[in-house]
Amino acid sequence: MTSRLCRTCGGSDIDLDPARGSAVCTGCGAVLEDNIIVSEVQFVEGSGGVSAAVGQFVSSDGPVKAPLLGSGFHTSTGKESRALTLQNGKRQIHHLGSQLQLNQHCLDTAFNFFKMVVSKHLTRGRKMAHIIAACLYLVCRTEGTPHMLLDLSDLLQVNVYILGKTFLLLARELCINAPAIDPCLYIPRFAHMLEFGEKTHEVSMTALRLLQRMKRDWMHTGRRPSGLCGAALLVAARMHEFRRTVKDVIGVVKVCQATLRKRLTEFEDTPTSQLTIDEFMRVDLEQECDPPSFTAGQHKAKMQQLEQELARKLDDVEGEISCYRDEIETELENSRPKLRGIYAAYAKIGLSVCLSDEALSSTSDPAELEAEDAELQAAAQHLTQDFLCQVIQEEEGKKPEGTSEQQEEAGQAEEAEPQQQAAPLTFILGKLPSAASLGLQQTFHAFQEAAAEQEADGPADSGELDLDGIDDQEIDKYILSEREVQSKTVLWTKQNQEYLREQKEKEERITKEKEQGTYKEKTKKSSKKREPIQASTAGEAIEKMLEQKRISSKINYDVLRDLNSRGGSAGNSPTRSTPDPPAGRKRLTRRKKTSNKTNQGLAGHRARPPAQTQGEKPHHYETTSLPTTSL
Amino acid sequence: MDSSNDEALDIIVTNVVATFRTRCHLNLRTIALEGTNVIYKPEVGKVLMKLRKPMITASIWSSGKIICTGATSEDESKLGARRLARSLQKLGFKVRFSDYKVVNVLAVCSMPFAVHLIDFTKNNRPIASYEPELHPAATYRIKNLKATVQVFSTGSLTVTGPNVQNVATAVEQVYPLLFECQKPLCN
Repeated sequence: MTSRLCRTCGGSDIDLDPARGSAVCTGCGAVLEDNIIVSEVQFVEGSGGVSAAVGQFVSSDGPVKAPLLGSGFHTSTGKESRALTLQNGKRQIHHLGSQLQLNQHCLDTAFNFFKMVVSKHLTRGRKMAHIIAACLYLVCRTEGTPHMLLDLSDLLQVNVYILGKTFLLLARELCINAPAIDPCLYIPRFAHMLEFGEKTHEVSMTALRLLQRMKRDWMHTGRRPSGLCGAALLVAARMHEFRRTVKDVIGVVKVCQATLRKRLTEFEDTPTSQLTIDEFMRVDLEQECDPPSFTAGQHKAKMQQLEQELARKLDDVEGEISCYRDEIETELENSRPKLRGIYAAYAKIGLSVCLSDEALSSTSDPAELEAEDAELQAAAQHLTQDFLCQVIQEEEGKKPEGTSEQQEEAGQAEEAEPQQQAAPLTFILGKLPSAASLGLQQTFHAFQEAAAEQEADGPADSGELDLDGIDDQEIDKYILSEREVQSKTVLWTKQNQEYLREQKEKEERITKEKEQGTYKEKTKKSSKKREPIQASTAGEAIEKMLEQKRISSKINYDVLRDLNSRGGSAGNSPTRSTPDPPAGRKRLTRRKKTSNKTNQGLAGHRARPPAQTQGEKPHHYETTSLPTTSL
Repeated sequence: MDSSNDEALDIIVTNVVATFRTRCHLNLRTIALEGTNVIYKPEVGKVLMKLRKPMITASIWSSGKIICTGATSEDESKLGARRLARSLQKLGFKVRFSDYKVVNVLAVCSMPFAVHLIDFTKNNRPIASYEPELHPAATYRIKNLKATVQVFSTGSLTVTGPNVQNVATAVEQVYPLLFECQKPLCN
């Protein structure tokens, strides 16, 4: 209340009346001010002598509404849905944020994000808790606070990947580029939790240096930052002679033991790990390393290469062996007596058995074939051993006969190394039939595949099935025979007994209900098909639609209709039970303007009675329907 | 076909997913009882049928819609789908082969260099995203091709797209970006 000079007489004697809010000059009587704005709290006396302050609570966001009747600012008094959502969100943000010890600035920023999200309708179909958590985490990332998504998921008991999905979506939609997580941010927090006392700072510094080193050695790409922090802190603690076990660290850092061990081993592989503590603090190695998974991949590739080389060498060796084998065989042939007796028959049968088996079992399981092979091998070995013994005996018997040196040599060679050769020969000869059988099987397979792969792509969309190249026989194998069907039916019914029983009960229930007449089709949510509305103007169409679709039970539609006939007025927000008098129309329309502005964003499933300009003639509403109001 | 002139990158298609319709109602119980290699899932309402020749798994619904997965090329997928329809025909249903469409193709590819993911994400801000807490790879979504490329720090890529051509184009598009952010190898 500044005392100032009167304009007319120049006198400084001004009388201020707070009740009327006026300033009057006592000299000349000129009124200087009317309705002074004062900032005082006034009290009124209520019933029973209770003093109450005059005024009302107004929320800092949301629409400024008319003074509320009654006390308090409970949410049930006529706020729009959008304001309610925002208020609810703000409360939840504050609740969650305080658990994370975020300061007010962060919470406000989070609320701003939330407002953006709501205005872009991204809250649809997502749990409010997830959205709130994602907004908070966005703030954490942009501000660089040491909060992990894991913390949030711990508080909410929600899977961290679900939260992550929501967070990524919000960040993309709001075009917010969250800077990448730096594991160095987490060090002070974890160090504090590990309780190093006075030396916390030193340990943190050491751990930071270790992390820098790890970054340079490419250990941190693609890894959870918390794991790296854990490893760095563990080593730093040990360096400063604190005994922190792996268990302590993983309790704080929230990774599992295996991960921590792995990080430590990877660090061990880098050349930095060879330095002593002092050297590490002083010196920084120039050389950088490759990422560990890359080196692992290269290691694997090298191993594969080595194996290939070995295989090739083996092949070479085998080649040599087969050369020797061929020579030996030719020698044997020359020196072998003609097959007589039962052994001849055995040898021939052995081979023919193999061949016929292949023909039959070309598509049987390789397991079976291997079993057969094993048997064949054993049989062949046995036979050839007997055979060899016989040969050797005959050789020995023949020695006095034979005069050629070759035969002698062969005989000697055979004698000299019957044992040595017996084993490889049986091995080699025993292997022959099975190798042959396998080879044949492979050719069978190749043949079938070739046959199958000769197809042209038939006409695409005729709907008819193009049968080119589809081997009917093979497909027949996919279908079981009668007997198989029966046995499978038995097995299947036994296995699925419970399900079948449930189905039967359900059917019985349905038939019973049908008889009783209480059967309800619960299957489809039948969308009620309404007839299309015939109307001449937009206003009429809307009235008819509103008629069909009753919005609220709290509106007395008859009264509204009457009001309408008197010349239009408030079809206000549906929670108003009493219609406002037409005298206050001007005020109403103004209020509605503001309210509708806030509702603009809502693609409301509640149809709001849309507006009409004030000057519209009332005779449009002859058809009894809800009045419309001005937008 | 690459921007690098010397080497050619091997793009290996590992999975092709296709759908088609038989235009007739299928009785799942019959299929379950009379077919080999079938798994009936009554709670979901579908039958899984596995073919050996093209190694394919098909999910069959009673409405006649079938999803066919596991093939290693588009042609193989079509062959397998037709084979499946033929076997259903033999079981006695009036099957027509219509609306065959390849829905998704998954391919892997390996760069000969390692990639610095953080730089890569910084350079391609809104299109690429990298969350080490959630997934070790950076995701690069190409909108016009509708393809997604996941880049790992070792330089291997996983590409998914609606058909093989898109996948190849996606790899070509991404290659120069990765080349910029490559990590020079030490050994």
